[in-house]
Amino acid sequence: MAKVKILGKEFSHPNELKFADAIKAGFPSPAEDYRHDGLDFNRDLIRHPEATFYGRVDGDSMVEAGISDGDLAVIDRAVEPAHGDVIVAYVNEEFTIKFLDLSHQKEGYIELRPANPKYQPIRISADDDFEVWGVVVWTIKPWKR
Amino acid sequence: MYGIIDCDNCYVSCERVFRPDLKHTPVVVLSNNDGCVVARSNEAKKLGIKAGMPFYQLQEKYPAQEIAVFSSNYELYGELTGRVVSLIRQEAPNYFRYSIDECFVNLKKLETPDLKQWGEQLHRKVQRYVGMPISIGIAPNKTLAKVASHFAKRYPGYRHCCLIDTEEKREKALKLFPVEDVWGIGRRYAAKLKALGVQTAWDFASQKAEWVRYTFHNVVIFRTWRELNGEDCVPEEEMAKKKSICTSRSFNGMITDLADLKTHISNYAARCAEKLRQEGSVASVVCVFIRTNPFREDLPQYENFIEYPIFTATNATITIVKACTDALEKIFRPGFQYKKAGVIVMQTSPESAVQSTLFDINDEQFDKLKKLDRVLDKINKVNGSETVVLGSQQYALRSNKGKAEVFANVIKHEFRSPNPTTRWNDIIRLK
Repeated sequence: MAKVKILGKEFSHPNELKFADAIKAGFPSPAEDYRHDGLDFNRDLIRHPEATFYGRVDGDSMVEAGISDGDLAVIDRAVEPAHGDVIVAYVNEEFTIKFLDLSHQKEGYIELRPANPKYQPIRISADDDFEVWGVVVWTIKPWKR
Repeated sequence: MYGIIDCDNCYVSCERVFRPDLKHTPVVVLSNNDGCVVARSNEAKKLGIKAGMPFYQLQEKYPAQEIAVFSSNYELYGELTGRVVSLIRQEAPNYFRYSIDECFVNLKKLETPDLKQWGEQLHRKVQRYVGMPISIGIAPNKTLAKVASHFAKRYPGYRHCCLIDTEEKREKALKLFPVEDVWGIGRRYAAKLKALGVQTAWDFASQKAEWVRYTFHNVVIFRTWRELNGEDCVPEEEMAKKKSICTSRSFNGMITDLADLKTHISNYAARCAEKLRQEGSVASVVCVFIRTNPFREDLPQYENFIEYPIFTATNATITIVKACTDALEKIFRPGFQYKKAGVIVMQTSPESAVQSTLFDINDEQFDKLKKLDRVLDKINKVNGSETVVLGSQQYALRSNKGKAEVFANVIKHEFRSPNPTTRWNDIIRLK
């Protein structure tokens, strides 16, 4: 029995309305009209919780796009990948994070473009059994380790 | 109309989500302790690998064959199937999950003109969101929906959703369907039917009611016959698998407190253990599920289902209650109003067949547990049920540090995949 810690399922927390019941009688609180649920990254940044996965950036292939080693990527599989998106794909037995370049589709291939001149784009021909695994919707960069 | 929705080769498909390279490779998943094969990809099935085949036999029989082998990773399967159910719930709020990978949905109130299209869309959505292939069978009752689901799985032409909604389709489907595969007809009855010349589901459905009654004297078979003929008569609770025992309840009000839920779960677990002892069997897996009220759309929704292996198959109340409350803790989330909870004990086998494993509790302790349960059953029988119960059936369980966790650490799982959805250290690496 492994220890099960399900992080992925817990996407939103009901927010406590701290001031809701403070005044039971007499004046209605003037703040009541402005009551608002708190900001919640889980709720507001993750649009498709069932389709959201996380990845850790490993290497510097996207460094010029501001995505560096150790960053956390929020991957949404529900989003339709479009030209120019940062995507995650499974190529040569590993997950890779790259720009999706669809500009050569007519010529029968697409490219996964790195953001670092040290790396070559990965060319994928139309006949290859290729799928975009998910679209990167956010990256989270730690400034303090 | 009802829909049966299940994940195709569930455990294998879960493993493939993070291993897209294994899309066309034979894949098998092993049972607890890497004992035998419990799940197979279609490619593995084609090789002739049978469910239940011991792992060593697999190695002997296919020395040169490339087969991807995984230890079971219930943490991963629980998480991904939970996502699938969450998507199903959004499309069909009247659902009943009856195992980790199977759900049935009542589609009566669904306002959609085209159920076939609805099903195909649901398949596409789940495939894209979670990476899990599902199949959907839709029909006027659950038995026919099961038939439809077989067709949805077997023939790609259905695009994962098969609908039996006309007499013509019913006849065509049943004529192609072997009677032994009909849900609710056991192996024994299938043999008898075949001996009587009944080969297909259609042969059986075409018999006269009197014939079915007098040949079998069995209500379940008769009900199956009625369902094959289009009537709707199987109640929801009986969807749970044959070799499992389920105790579940909807609460009067809603429950928010873990301690309260624990008390309920403990009682369901104790009831299941008692039922196991009554029929002289033992269980090796417990499942616990909890859910909010899907019809209260104004409230935050949460639902989870966990399969929790017990190291050695047992029917001891203490062990089963402990496993269930541990499992509950894994899936409980504060801040939700729970409406329903349940315990299912699975993979039951006769008590006489239990082998205690190397790492398990010693004989002395085993005997003590047996004695305790005998006394428990006796007192409760003589003095009325629930005269004597475990503390946890009455009060919140105090400690979570039990033996089970220690045993868990020695479970063999040589080929276990990482847990990219539940552990930060395991999330996928992006090159």
